[in-house]
Amino acid sequence: MKTATTQAREQLKKAMQRLADGDRAALEEIYQATSAKLFGICYRILGDRKEAEDALQDVYINLWQRADRYDPARASPISWLATFARNRAVDRLRTGKVQRNAVPVEEAAPVPDAAPLADAMLIDAERSARIHSCIETLDTNQRTAIRTAFFEGQTYAELAEANDVPLGTMKSWVRRGLAKLKTCLEAEG
Amino acid sequence: MTTDDQLAAEYVLGLLEGEDLLMARGRIAREPEFAQAVERWDGQLAPMLDDVEDMTAGPELWARIEAATIATPEGGAQVIALKQKLRNWQIAGTASAMAAVAALAMVVLAPNQPGAPQPIAAPAPLVASIPIADTPLRLGVTYLPDRSEMLVSASGLSADGVHDHELWLVPEQGELQSLGVVVPGQERRIVLPQNVAANIADGSALLLTREPLGGKPAGVDAGPVVASGAFSAT
Repeated sequence: MKTATTQAREQLKKAMQRLADGDRAALEEIYQATSAKLFGICYRILGDRKEAEDALQDVYINLWQRADRYDPARASPISWLATFARNRAVDRLRTGKVQRNAVPVEEAAPVPDAAPLADAMLIDAERSARIHSCIETLDTNQRTAIRTAFFEGQTYAELAEANDVPLGTMKSWVRRGLAKLKTCLEAEG
Repeated sequence: MTTDDQLAAEYVLGLLEGEDLLMARGRIAREPEFAQAVERWDGQLAPMLDDVEDMTAGPELWARIEAATIATPEGGAQVIALKQKLRNWQIAGTASAMAAVAALAMVVLAPNQPGAPQPIAAPAPLVASIPIADTPLRLGVTYLPDRSEMLVSASGLSADGVHDHELWLVPEQGELQSLGVVVPGQERRIVLPQNVAANIADGSALLLTREPLGGKPAGVDAGPVVASGAFSAT
């Protein structure tokens, strides 16, 4: 399993490098390997299938135009792509093109016993476990705010309004949560 | 946790907006240490995306993506060229100080500078829509080649009373040329001097930097790049 994971990641890394050199065939390879995961992320953030498809299209076209942004020495390719897709989807929310069908974040939290993922080979299970156990150590207020910002692209002002608390209160919840998260991530690292 | 590290995390989570966001973007462009803190948080939070359930997109989506990439066959190469140019500009930053002032002065004083290369006549207007970082803000730029006239619409931007934003053209060769200070919340129309107009073509890159009020002062480096875009034919 470890070997298969490493192989899958190395193969994706190579495809990303070929893409940066302008090889269009590499884009199709990357799409086949990652689109189910990235589409899931776009849908999770946008809450609408059509919008998520547009966002996904935007992700791969942007990747084609700017493949050189990925630095293979620094990040795992799937983590980088997942972050990239998340950021593009959040951008899309912000430009006001989308009215999100608000699903409360705790309700929309992932099902732990999901069927095996098509691209599970690419997922870095160790790091996943660390952030998840760390985020569980936060107070509910802190955790919910951080997760909502991450998955719904809400700003401080929006979070404060949605929770009906002063902006300063929201900032202090998040900041205390981040400090705690950092300590935890580093302790286990 | 340091203030910088906190700001980096806030940026990664998307909590910032307005001037705070522009400032964070600027620091990423300018301060490698801050950029690294952002990258670290990106990497640490990314695994939260791991257990989002997979979904299969419609089969026609790949065809749409492929068609779009065929339309821009140059792919990554164009961007590498632009980055090189940016690097050259950053090295030559100080030298370009005078250009900003000069270009603006010529708008008023010398619209028909003799001896300057003639712009290549192109009847179709060129447009650029420049998204500003992770904000809903967008700068609209329209250039009318036959009249050497440029319209800059900054209806999304608001003034903070401390900074101005300055728009720059990245010419094929030579240093950046100022296209003037962007007036927040307004549409501005200016006639470009020929030495600037001659460098504008389909694909010309644009940069937006954050500067003190009134634009980049002479003799200092330009401020952080907060957004970029390119002209394209309509």
